[in-house]
Amino acid sequence: MNEAGNKPASKRRRKAIGLRAPKLGGDFTAIPIHILIPPATAMNKNRPISSLIKAQLLHIQHAESARLPKDKRVGVKLEDIHTEAEAAAYIAAVTRVLHPQGRKRSRRKPRS
Amino acid sequence: MPPGLDALKHIVVLMMENRSFDHMLGSLKAVNQQIDGVDGTQYNLDTQGNQVFVQPLAAFQSQLDPDPDHAFPAVDQQIFAGDQSPTRVATMQGFVQNYFQQQQDVAHSQKIMYYFSADKLPVLTSLATNFAVFNRWFASIPGPTICNRAFAHYGTSFGQVGMNMFYPQGKSIYERLQDAGILAKLYYFDQASSTMEVVNLFQHQPQLFGTYDQFLADCKSGMLPAYSFIEPNYTDHDSDDGEQLASDQHPDHNVQAGELYIASVYNAIVSNPALWASTVLLVVYDEHGGIFDHVPPPACTPDGHSAGPADTQLTYTFNFDRLGVRVPAILISPWIPKGTVVGTDRVFEHASIPATVTKKFIGSYTASTAREQGAQTFLDLLSLDTPRTDTVVFNT
Repeated sequence: MNEAGNKPASKRRRKAIGLRAPKLGGDFTAIPIHILIPPATAMNKNRPISSLIKAQLLHIQHAESARLPKDKRVGVKLEDIHTEAEAAAYIAAVTRVLHPQGRKRSRRKPRS
Repeated sequence: MPPGLDALKHIVVLMMENRSFDHMLGSLKAVNQQIDGVDGTQYNLDTQGNQVFVQPLAAFQSQLDPDPDHAFPAVDQQIFAGDQSPTRVATMQGFVQNYFQQQQDVAHSQKIMYYFSADKLPVLTSLATNFAVFNRWFASIPGPTICNRAFAHYGTSFGQVGMNMFYPQGKSIYERLQDAGILAKLYYFDQASSTMEVVNLFQHQPQLFGTYDQFLADCKSGMLPAYSFIEPNYTDHDSDDGEQLASDQHPDHNVQAGELYIASVYNAIVSNPALWASTVLLVVYDEHGGIFDHVPPPACTPDGHSAGPADTQLTYTFNFDRLGVRVPAILISPWIPKGTVVGTDRVFEHASIPATVTKKFIGSYTASTAREQGAQTFLDLLSLDTPRTDTVVFNT
């Protein structure tokens, strides 16, 4: 355990969410500050959604209704969304339509 | 023109979620007495009449659960301890009693008074002590997220004190800049987190938006817009790159994840020397999240709107003439003297953001609200004659 009580992060986890200090050249004097990676137990995709996310869902549904014809809508009932994972899935589906440019480009190299 | 302002080409704002000044930065009073934080004497009475003093016992997660109430009536009780009379005084004595209402648990209610020791928040602590920390940056409304964020985008919430949808009657800072031929962007984390600014801007002007990955790329390439507003990740969710941990620090999300996010935004800017020399970064929180702060919010210039009892859920009409609870706010730039503390004589709020950005990139603009026109701006803090060569960088 480190001083924050976190189990030290695995190499894989460190690679996934860790941060590397930039190397500053020239005249810069940069003091490196070490920060801790949150433990894997911090993740809870089944966490009940907060009032903020509930509000966001309403707003997202409003935008979906305004922008999409009925046959193109995601078709999710907000009363069926209870967890952060469920909320994220619906929000992603509507955001993909509203802002397709926000699609994450795959980092995998194409097979030759 | 001061050289720092002359060199300034980019303003970046990162708005986090739901933590008060005392909760996140209050411990810094022990490091620098100029910082109006906590010294252990601040307290609230609990429901049994016991004094509950502030303590450096805040945990990264699983402590403020349930999420402390931060709707308008709850914040009113936190500030005024239940007094709704016309002659009431803000005592900041209602936090513990308000939190008690959520679980009827005396011991649990006392945790609303906990704050973080400086060593637990190395990113915020390093940035606050190396650059400028604001003693008096308040939420714009004593209420929740969406109406507070509206002040950062529009200089007003158009009479909203809650989370309702609204269609604005005036232009956001992004549209003003767009009209002036100046590039501005709101960067949301990813499509699953999206933006909180949905109904007004995202629905109708998606071209104003980008993603966090694009922000990183824009920093690297030097293609950052004149004005950038960054949103954190609002949920724990899966993505094509694996699991994504919420980074907004909204209870009960992990606070360390938010520190990592702030550090990554900062590292992205500082790693490009030309960008670093021409950018100012504001890290600010939208509202206090129901968590204790000891500074009474002051009165402010009304913005011409009002919210009646049906909206406030209280006995009175709110005329947008009083600010919300104090929040952490840190301004970062190599043109700011190390250890700057913006004194208690200068009051800032989220309308200061469009006010500052408009002043820098547009100049005179008469269509903004009275509130925004009366708001303090913050670029005078870039006061050095030459940029500093000392800084911090973050790694895990």
